[in-house]
Amino acid sequence: MSSQTHETETFTAVATALIRPETEQERERRRIVVMCLPFFVLATFAAFIPLVVMARMSVSADQFENSGFSMEAWYTLATESVYLTVAWNTLWFATLATVASVIFGVGISHALEKYEFPFKGFVVSMISFPIALPGIVVAFMIIVLLGRQGLLTHTVAFFTGGSPLDIAVATTVFGLFCGYVYSLIPRSTMVLRGTYTEVNTDAEEAARALGAGSLRTFYHVTLPEIRPGVVAAFILTFRSALAIFGTVLVLQSLNVATLRIDREIAVGFNSQIAGAIGLIYFAFILAFTFVSLRFTETDVVEI
Amino acid sequence: MAEVTLEKLHKRYGDETAVESLDFTVHDGETLGVVGPSGCGKTTTLRMIAGFETPTDGVVRFDSEDVTHVPPEKRNVGLVFQSYALFNNMSVLANVAFGLKMEGVGKEERRERAQELLDMLGIGDLGDRSPESLSGGQQQRVGLARALAIEPDILLLDEPMTGLDAKLKTRLRTEMSNLLEELGVTALYVTHDQEEAMAMCDRIAVLNDGHIEQIGTPDTVYEQPANTFVANFIGTSNVLRGKANGDSVDLGFTRVQDERLEAVNGEATLIARPEAFDVDDDGFEAQVRDVHYLGERIQATAELPDGTDLTLKFDSFDRQVSADDVVSLALDLDDVHVVD
Amino acid sequence: MSEDVHDTAGGQGVVARIDGLIAGPTAKAVVLGMMVFVLLLLMVPIVFTFVASFAESAAGALPSGFFTLDNWRTVLGLGDYGVQTSVGPGLAFSAMLATGGMVLNIIIGVPIAYALTRYNFFARDWINAIAILPLVPGIILGVAFLRTYPENAGSALGLIVGYALLKSPYMVLTVQSSFQSMDLQQLEESSRSLGASWPRTFLTVIVPNAKDGIIAGSIICWTLAAAEFNFTYMVYARGPRPFSLFLFENISNAPYLQSAAAISVYFLIVVAAITVLQLVGNRGFSTSSDR
Repeated sequence: MSSQTHETETFTAVATALIRPETEQERERRRIVVMCLPFFVLATFAAFIPLVVMARMSVSADQFENSGFSMEAWYTLATESVYLTVAWNTLWFATLATVASVIFGVGISHALEKYEFPFKGFVVSMISFPIALPGIVVAFMIIVLLGRQGLLTHTVAFFTGGSPLDIAVATTVFGLFCGYVYSLIPRSTMVLRGTYTEVNTDAEEAARALGAGSLRTFYHVTLPEIRPGVVAAFILTFRSALAIFGTVLVLQSLNVATLRIDREIAVGFNSQIAGAIGLIYFAFILAFTFVSLRFTETDVVEI
Repeated sequence: MAEVTLEKLHKRYGDETAVESLDFTVHDGETLGVVGPSGCGKTTTLRMIAGFETPTDGVVRFDSEDVTHVPPEKRNVGLVFQSYALFNNMSVLANVAFGLKMEGVGKEERRERAQELLDMLGIGDLGDRSPESLSGGQQQRVGLARALAIEPDILLLDEPMTGLDAKLKTRLRTEMSNLLEELGVTALYVTHDQEEAMAMCDRIAVLNDGHIEQIGTPDTVYEQPANTFVANFIGTSNVLRGKANGDSVDLGFTRVQDERLEAVNGEATLIARPEAFDVDDDGFEAQVRDVHYLGERIQATAELPDGTDLTLKFDSFDRQVSADDVVSLALDLDDVHVVD
Repeated sequence: MSEDVHDTAGGQGVVARIDGLIAGPTAKAVVLGMMVFVLLLLMVPIVFTFVASFAESAAGALPSGFFTLDNWRTVLGLGDYGVQTSVGPGLAFSAMLATGGMVLNIIIGVPIAYALTRYNFFARDWINAIAILPLVPGIILGVAFLRTYPENAGSALGLIVGYALLKSPYMVLTVQSSFQSMDLQQLEESSRSLGASWPRTFLTVIVPNAKDGIIAGSIICWTLAAAEFNFTYMVYARGPRPFSLFLFENISNAPYLQSAAAISVYFLIVVAAITVLQLVGNRGFSTSSDR
């Protein structure tokens, strides 16, 4: 709107206008600053400063306090193959779980939006339920289903006559995958549900009237319309997948970055390496988010 | 109530000029309509009077006081919006009393005054209801009562009727203009609907591209449009052009003689409302292309031999014309306006 | 990506062929089946855990010996084991922390949600992205806190501030969704023209009108903070033990049925939260209102 005048204004003029505004536009600018300020104060002390300190920590010579300078942690990260494995594990596993969760999310929001069935409100609430569950509880849910005493384990054992101990998969990579999907499906569904309500049903009906079947209508009419939602769901779900820690801590079946950070701290307090992993991790999420947000509008983003 | 004066008001957003050199006065007790196509600057004008936009240049005066830099909450203006913008967290009565509460009027007194206004608007029994439960017409009345409760220096109405159905619109229009007159309110009525402005306002300002094309009473603006923009925007017009010669002008299809033309040098522009044409055996010929019945009147489009179209209006009981007829028309000079 | 990506002959051919195989009712059955499958996957372990918490023995294939309150007595600290294994102190402590985080979230979240919805300004989209997307995962924030605030990272204050930052996107999004359904500009301008100053307008007109969204956001933030684990686990050192660490201890060490009871305590909290969320128009833990 006023970018040009904005640019030519000197810093002092802007500051004066913020403290003693004269025009309504200046008063509005002051209001915006005042309204955003509390959030940024918190973000500064609770995120920006700690992240800078963490960056400093990764090059500290001392493991218990930030002093001296050493690139050793970064060197270790770059040379030891275990860290490459950790990075690879983190990425392929999160991607796979995200793709599965978004596919399920599309199906569920399709069912919720397009078909009539009883207790819909209740169903939505129940599907959102796991969003409230911390990762450790999700891990317990997987143990309940797939653990040695698990429901599914015993069901399979009953029909195959095998031993539950051999059948239990809770602490395998597959069990962990189930845990990821358990916490991610609700998230992807909630994002997709928002876009689904805005799908133009006229176009779908028109396509169907022209003889297109369900799948073709979905592919040619519905999918292009929900694409922003699918992209947003993918972004948010992938971010959530990367951040999962409690589930891995309990099930312990795959060495991903969050677990590795914990191990570095718990075993030997390698704070520099933990800080370096954390920094790479944060930078990656940041870059991923801002690059991927270019492919969708921010207003479809929900959690 | 007060007299509101705009002096050389400019508003620019970066390189874009929204309003340019506005100079007019809303007289004490009058309702001034501001009409114009969308983007003409009418809402910006209203917002500068309310104080939500500070003009880049120029002065806004309430009576003699310069309020250009006074924030909106200290100006004492009443605002009525298209969306009503009622406070759903309060009862209808509390909505109307809100302004008085801000002024520091005691609880009893402000309730009494709010109730009086609701009674006056015929919604006295709705005081305890939530605004959400009211119909559009009722909400609009509450919005009006709320704005009037503070006895504003000027009442600003921003497309207040848009969104209501046609029948309700007509009724509210009469009610509202009677009320404004009765209370002697100074009002600025912004609308894109020129018919509404004609019915509601004492004077009309026609805005185009950020400046005023004409300001005057509804009949002046309609009958003596200052230029072709006003003529085309207010109602339907036929703009006729020709080379003036003394007191006559050759329009191509007919020659017109009138003393008003003596003042014109060279190109003359005549504005003829659709009513200015009548069927007359001694006139010029035109072919009727299509005919629309508008109830009491019919509107026809007729094509002149040179290909230009004329819009005509007749009383439907007097004239029978149908498509493809060739009619002979005459121009009634009393109904023609010569643009100076 | 453009439409023609979808209209490539190959893609169309395949879709059309599959389409011919799956008739309308089949597609409906597939989609509904998918939903029911997920619903079962999500709900069965929750219900099972709750039911099992009332069982006496977990020795067989299925828990047996209903109905007993022993597990609950132990978890609630009414049993013979004393307060050592009781959920009480931890839950009370976490409830206090969550409340603190929630209050902070209201203070920081409602204003920025308003600014982002009502005004258009320099870098609005970027600020919006920062406000609605979780900035840092809990575990990394925990590591960063340990070094930045060595004395206070695991203190009540440190936990409250951490929770507020981690859960703020939920508050901002929920309140934004509420604001988006209001005509903010006209509400604000009506109120100001009636003589209310801008701060007064915000507090007496805008905030009360967004009440449902603020309540929903608060409940979501509170519930999530009450059981926050990743950050808590990383920064906790001493002092009263938060609820999520109590859950973790149970899950990793306690007898199966006792864990079930401990987790069921949290389930009850979530059910209560969802019930209140329904009342204010949100369906479950979703940041958007259905009204």
